[in-house]
Amino acid sequence: MLANYAFIAIFFVAAVTFPLAPLVLAFFLRPKRPTPIKQSTYECGLEAIGDLRVQFKVQYYLYALAFVIFDIEVVFLYPWAVAFNQLGLYGFTAAAVFLIILTAGLIYEWRKGALEWV
Amino acid sequence: MESLQIPPVDLRLLTPLLIVVGWAGALLLIDVFFVPDGRKKITGYLAIAGLAVAGLAGIPLWNLSGSTFSGMLVLDRYSLALTWIFLIAGALSIAVALDYLPRHAIEQGEYYPLIMFAVGGMILMAQSADLITLFLGIELLSITLYILTGFAYPRVASEEAGMKYLVLGAFAAGFFVYGIALIFGATGATSLAGIAAYLGRQPFAPQEETLFLAGASLVLIGFSFKIALVPFHMWTPDVYEGSPTPVAAFMSVGTKGAALAALLRVTLALEEAQTFWLPILAVLAAATMILGNLGALGQSNLKRMLAYSSIGHAGYILLGIMVAAERGAEAFLFYILAYTLTNLGAFGVLIALEQRGEAAWSIDDFAGLYQRRPLLAVAMALFMFSLAGVPPTAGFMGKFFIFTAAYAGGLGWLVLIGVLTSAIAAYYYLRVVVKMFMQEPVREVRPELTRGLNTEILIAGVATLILGLLPTPIVLLVERSLVALGG
Amino acid sequence: MATVIQIIFGLIAALIVGAAVMVVTVRNVIHAALWLIACFFGVGALYLLLEAEFLAVVQVLVYVGAISILILFAIMLTRQVTGEGVRQLVGGWRLWLTAAISALLFAVAIVPTVISHSWNVPAPPAPPGTPEPLAGVAELGRAFVYEFLLQFQVAGVLLTVALIGAIVIAFEERARRRRVLTLAEEHELRKRLAHPPPVEAPAGEPAPAPRATPISEGEVQQ
Repeated sequence: MLANYAFIAIFFVAAVTFPLAPLVLAFFLRPKRPTPIKQSTYECGLEAIGDLRVQFKVQYYLYALAFVIFDIEVVFLYPWAVAFNQLGLYGFTAAAVFLIILTAGLIYEWRKGALEWV
Repeated sequence: MESLQIPPVDLRLLTPLLIVVGWAGALLLIDVFFVPDGRKKITGYLAIAGLAVAGLAGIPLWNLSGSTFSGMLVLDRYSLALTWIFLIAGALSIAVALDYLPRHAIEQGEYYPLIMFAVGGMILMAQSADLITLFLGIELLSITLYILTGFAYPRVASEEAGMKYLVLGAFAAGFFVYGIALIFGATGATSLAGIAAYLGRQPFAPQEETLFLAGASLVLIGFSFKIALVPFHMWTPDVYEGSPTPVAAFMSVGTKGAALAALLRVTLALEEAQTFWLPILAVLAAATMILGNLGALGQSNLKRMLAYSSIGHAGYILLGIMVAAERGAEAFLFYILAYTLTNLGAFGVLIALEQRGEAAWSIDDFAGLYQRRPLLAVAMALFMFSLAGVPPTAGFMGKFFIFTAAYAGGLGWLVLIGVLTSAIAAYYYLRVVVKMFMQEPVREVRPELTRGLNTEILIAGVATLILGLLPTPIVLLVERSLVALGG
Repeated sequence: MATVIQIIFGLIAALIVGAAVMVVTVRNVIHAALWLIACFFGVGALYLLLEAEFLAVVQVLVYVGAISILILFAIMLTRQVTGEGVRQLVGGWRLWLTAAISALLFAVAIVPTVISHSWNVPAPPAPPGTPEPLAGVAELGRAFVYEFLLQFQVAGVLLTVALIGAIVIAFEERARRRRVLTLAEEHELRKRLAHPPPVEAPAGEPAPAPRATPISEGEVQQ
């Protein structure tokens, strides 16, 4: 089984190496003669003022939480889907009940207005 | 695949659980679709009705016992009796909240379904015969309580309490799961029966069972946190003080009761390992009784005092668990019932005194309560006597049963500590009574008594008295309820 | 082969431990979150090395995919990212002493176990009635539906309660907040302003840019 993933590992190593290698090479090869003009922001509009970071709305967090919850639902349904052919109607019903429970939560969330973007 | 058979699932065995959880889910949607803002009390009444239906549905199950879901869920009279106690606790916590929430402008219809979900988690804990099921029950209860603790949105103290409880509770859950994993690694089973079978296969030798012992200790840490046993109790006063008072009332009886009930089952399953298990419990019980009651001595805030007192009471209940195999389980059930009713009543009086914007939790606010509200003062005195264990109240009978069972089980020194700490406890409980009856009011506090609150205090008060005066029928019921609990 | 795997394990373990150390030492919280993601990835790789494919998938799906997003959003919500100006209630030696005592107690429970447990002995025979050990994803799916049906459903209830909790605690009621127009409403408003009724709006006044200012719900309904 591990051999299957060896390719991914090799791919991963290659993906990290290829962008890094030119950067590292360039770092060592390039001449370094900084001047104030060179270091100024180049044709990118005005000088930035203030903090780069803005404070997000709590709404983002609510979406992220809903996302996590339904992501975990996927974790439960994934093995069920793999075994679906062996489980028959009984298995289908079991997963349907599971989904109904979670759908109740989703309906609640929708009705409460938490899904609307403000 | 033909070889797989559908495992027998006996849904009858979990009727109360199904009703409570199903009703809670339906109520959640009913509340958000049909109940207009400002009339959320309707949701509360529906929730109480649901709990009542679940309780009634449990009656035909009295003569039924068995296990289902591959033996992970059992129904016996022990769990059924606990289920009823939990349903009562849930219904009373809803009754006191009916007027409390609007008065403090924190009314949201979700409160009532959430309490029902929590009760569902408690029932699951009482019925589980498997560590995984138990963990899920604990989590269902805990997540609900994290929400309810932080329910009083504008109050920073409430948010702080929710945060504290969540962070510490998550740690405790981590310990619990780690413990389950180690136990599974050692025994190959997560079911209590499987663990008992593993332990029974040869005489217990601690040096060969380190993996199991480490797992059991970690599970015990998780339990201790939920029950608030003494070195794991630090969160209790802060969380109780910060959370809305009905939630604190529910937590003080609910989490504790359910976790203790599950601990009793685990203790019975670990019968073979009791040379290891019981000394730890003994130390925990002693520390809990001493430090819980000593901590309550210095409190002038009644809510914190009740928090410490609930810690102390957990220590007494632990005595019953330690001798569960003998007569301890009966004493345990009786004590849980008595403590639940008494404590809910005491919190009910506290709620009556609480005004919006300011909390009348200082012990001075109780001064002269007798002149203003004689009946309320009498009720509070009754609850204080019961918590202190003064006859003829439920608390006295509970302590009596626990101490005699523990003494018969050979825990003489713990009984001695228990009696001594009860004497200490009497001081701070009776201080409240003295304030109410013998002192002049320090400042004007007008208790607000509404229908839900009146009913709750009345039920709790009458039950406390009846349990104290005529304990025989309940004791018989409790005794009968333990026929099936063989371990 | 075994040594190759050991080398890979060493690399992954170094990544995990290194990233974990960075998480707690870096001052900038966003950097800490990014290190945490690296740590999650390492754990996922470790699961793969143990041939626990499903766990690896879950690790990437839930932790790398969802939890890290959650953490980043949580950081975006907080005001003080660098941690300056945060008052620590318990600090100095008391903090270290508490941490040391806790770590010591935990070590007392775990270290003897690790040392004295005979790890390479095959697991004891499971008592009758326990389910067979699980291997693949399909078995897991079967187990969810057969042996662990109750847990499966309770997990669903648990997730629903968590969702409710998120809304109860974090969601502000619609009445309490201002609202931005949806695209359809914006379209409608623009059409109305382009063809104003003769009396109310004098001609020549430029239509306001609808997105620029949030319009409260009451105004939209006029």
